[in-house]
Parts: sequence; structure tokens; C-alpha cells
Amino acid sequence: MSDDSIRDLLRALAEADATAEASPEIEVQLRKKFRSRKRRRAWRGITLWALWAPLAAAAAIVLLFVFVNRKPATAPVNPVPSDTAAAPSLEQAVPPQPASPPTIMQMRKSGAARPPQPEEIVTDFFPLMDPAPPFERGKILRVELPASAMEMVGLPVHAEHLTDSVQADVLVGEEGLPRAIRFVKFERK
Amino acid sequence: MTEAARRRPNDNQMNESDEILLARMLDGDEEAFAALYRRRQGPVYRFALHMTNSVAAAEDITQEVFLALLETGHRFDSSRGSLLSLLYGIARNHALRRIEKSWRMEPAAVIEDEPGVEDVLNDVMRRETVEQVRQAVVSLPPMYREAVVLCYLENLSYEEAAAVLECPVGTVRSRLSRGRVILAQKLIRHAVRAAYE
Repeated sequence: MSDDSIRDLLRALAEADATAEASPEIEVQLRKKFRSRKRRRAWRGITLWALWAPLAAAAAIVLLFVFVNRKPATAPVNPVPSDTAAAPSLEQAVPPQPASPPTIMQMRKSGAARPPQPEEIVTDFFPLMDPAPPFERGKILRVELPASAMEMVGLPVHAEHLTDSVQADVLVGEEGLPRAIRFVKFERK
Repeated sequence: MTEAARRRPNDNQMNESDEILLARMLDGDEEAFAALYRRRQGPVYRFALHMTNSVAAAEDITQEVFLALLETGHRFDSSRGSLLSLLYGIARNHALRRIEKSWRMEPAAVIEDEPGVEDVLNDVMRRETVEQVRQAVVSLPPMYREAVVLCYLENLSYEEAAAVLECPVGTVRSRLSRGRVILAQKLIRHAVRAAYE
């Protein structure tokens, strides 16, 4: 039997079956399944929303709480011109040194974990920008400054100590601008 | 509205490509799904029918193919082949699974030289009906059957068939060649048997 004969026979079969189709019931069933699947997906979406909405609300409340608690550290208390902070030179923490302790009224003990000796005492933060642009995140840099810098934020310093070095923490925003400063004193236990 | 009219896709849907209908279907458009089904169910059904020789199995497979399209249609990548090739591929997997389930050991076809074969062939050409050809196709081993069905009954090109069968074009050609030889042998046997009855 030649190839052509076989092809002819197959062609005859193809022509005979050319109009063969699945019965209409198949389409009806498929449409039903399509609708049911669509409903199921919609319901799944609602369920997911119902699950995630309370979680999102809880997360928002936590973030708000954190934000409110952090705000005092950056809020302007006693605004000073921003050029006050133009001078600081960045350095690592330096050993304790004599400062003018009696004149600093707002000193408080730092709650942060520090090496036990000597103990670090810091002032509140003093804002360096007025008005301060919105603040989201930043870094605290430990710097060494002349004691005269304390006068610029309103802290009294004895004249003979104006050229002494003091330690300070500068809060720098993510855009690189100094936002606030606090002064550090080391006190031996 | 008659059943035929209800089943007839409207003009807009007729003009839209498979890909657009698929995208609309995945967006939840039932009419797009129906249009795609009406356009492509025929070839899928006929392929399944020729592979299984069972109307019920062919309808089941057709349904399974379009359900699979609903579930996995978002993975379709037109750069890897046409949507019809994808549908044939899904149908093929389902058909082969059914064939494996109902597999009956069949003696391997052996090509033999028979005396006076040309005379018999002429007789075959006269006597054989479409139904006998169908039976011969269905009795082919699946690997030849699917190539024969796609290329000779569904008129796919060798390249399209190769994409569906996930094999090189050369393999399609060799399977077709071998399939034709086996078909010829089966039809001759049938004719010989019929001549003695």
C-alpha cells in the first residue's frame, strides 16, 4: 500500500470527523465551573482582606505609638540657628575629661548601657534647626567640640572653660543635616 | 434564542486573538472564556477522540483541558507556542494517561511481505471504510498515533506537532513514516481477513 493511499484514507477520516464537537453540556458545565471558581476567588479576596485589615490597623497603632514616643527627642525645644552645628568635627568617643558640671542644670543620667567606668551623663537634645523639616530617621554621631558650643544652645559656661573640649552627640538626619545636639559628660563612679 | 445561536460567538469575539480572549478570561470574563472554548473545543475534542476512540473519554478530556486552562492559563507564554498547541499538549497528557490506564498488550506490528499484496491493496482501497481507518489509527501505538492524528487528521505542520509532542521535527517525521507503514499493514490484514470471510 503506497504512502499516497494511506494519506488519502486518513484524509477521508479527517473529512468525516471534521465537524465532530463536544456536546453542548460540556460548555454548560464549564461555564458553571467558571462561575464557581470566580466566586471562590472573590470570596478568598474578601477573606484575605478581613484577615489583613485588623493586622494592618494593629501595625499602624504600634508605629504611631513608636513615633509619638520618639518625638520628644527631635521636637524643637529651644530653637537655635542652624549654623550652630556647622562646626562640629566628627570623631570617635574620647576619654573622660573635666567640664563645667555645676553649670549644666539639665544633666541627667543616661539609661543606655555603657561601659561601667566612667559613667556617661547627657543633657537633653537641643534643636539645631528652626523650623525643623520632617524627620524620619537619622544617626547620632559622637563629636568633640569646644565648650563655647554649649553657650550657643543656651547653656552657661565659665569663661575659663570656653576653650575646653567637650563631648557631644549630634543627631544627623538622613539628608545629612544636623538636627539636634546634646552634650555628654563622663563622671567617675 | 436557539441553541445554535447561543453557541455562536459574536463578531467581536470572533475577531479577537486567542491571547486576548485568554487575558479577558483570566480577568473573569465568562463570555471570553466561552468564545475561546467554542473556537478551540473542536480540534481538542477531535484529537482526544482519535486518540481514545471514545466519545465519553473525548468529552471528559475536552472538559479537563479547559479546566486546566482556567487554572494555569496565566502561565501561558505566547513566545513558546500558540495557545492551540498548549491545549493539544494538555489534551495529549490526559489522553496518554487514559491510554496507559486501559492499556492492553498488543503484539508489536510486524511488517511482512505478503504475496500479491498489490491486488489486496486495490481491494482494500475499495472496501475499507472510514470506520476501518479510524480503528486502524486507534490501534497504533500512542507515540505514532499522536503524530498521525496531529499531522494528518488535524493538519498541523511538522513544527507545530513537534511543539505539542515536545520532540524534534525529525522525530515527528520518522514517527509519521513508521505510523504510515503500520497503518498500511493493519489495513492490509483487515482486507485479507475480510476477503476470507
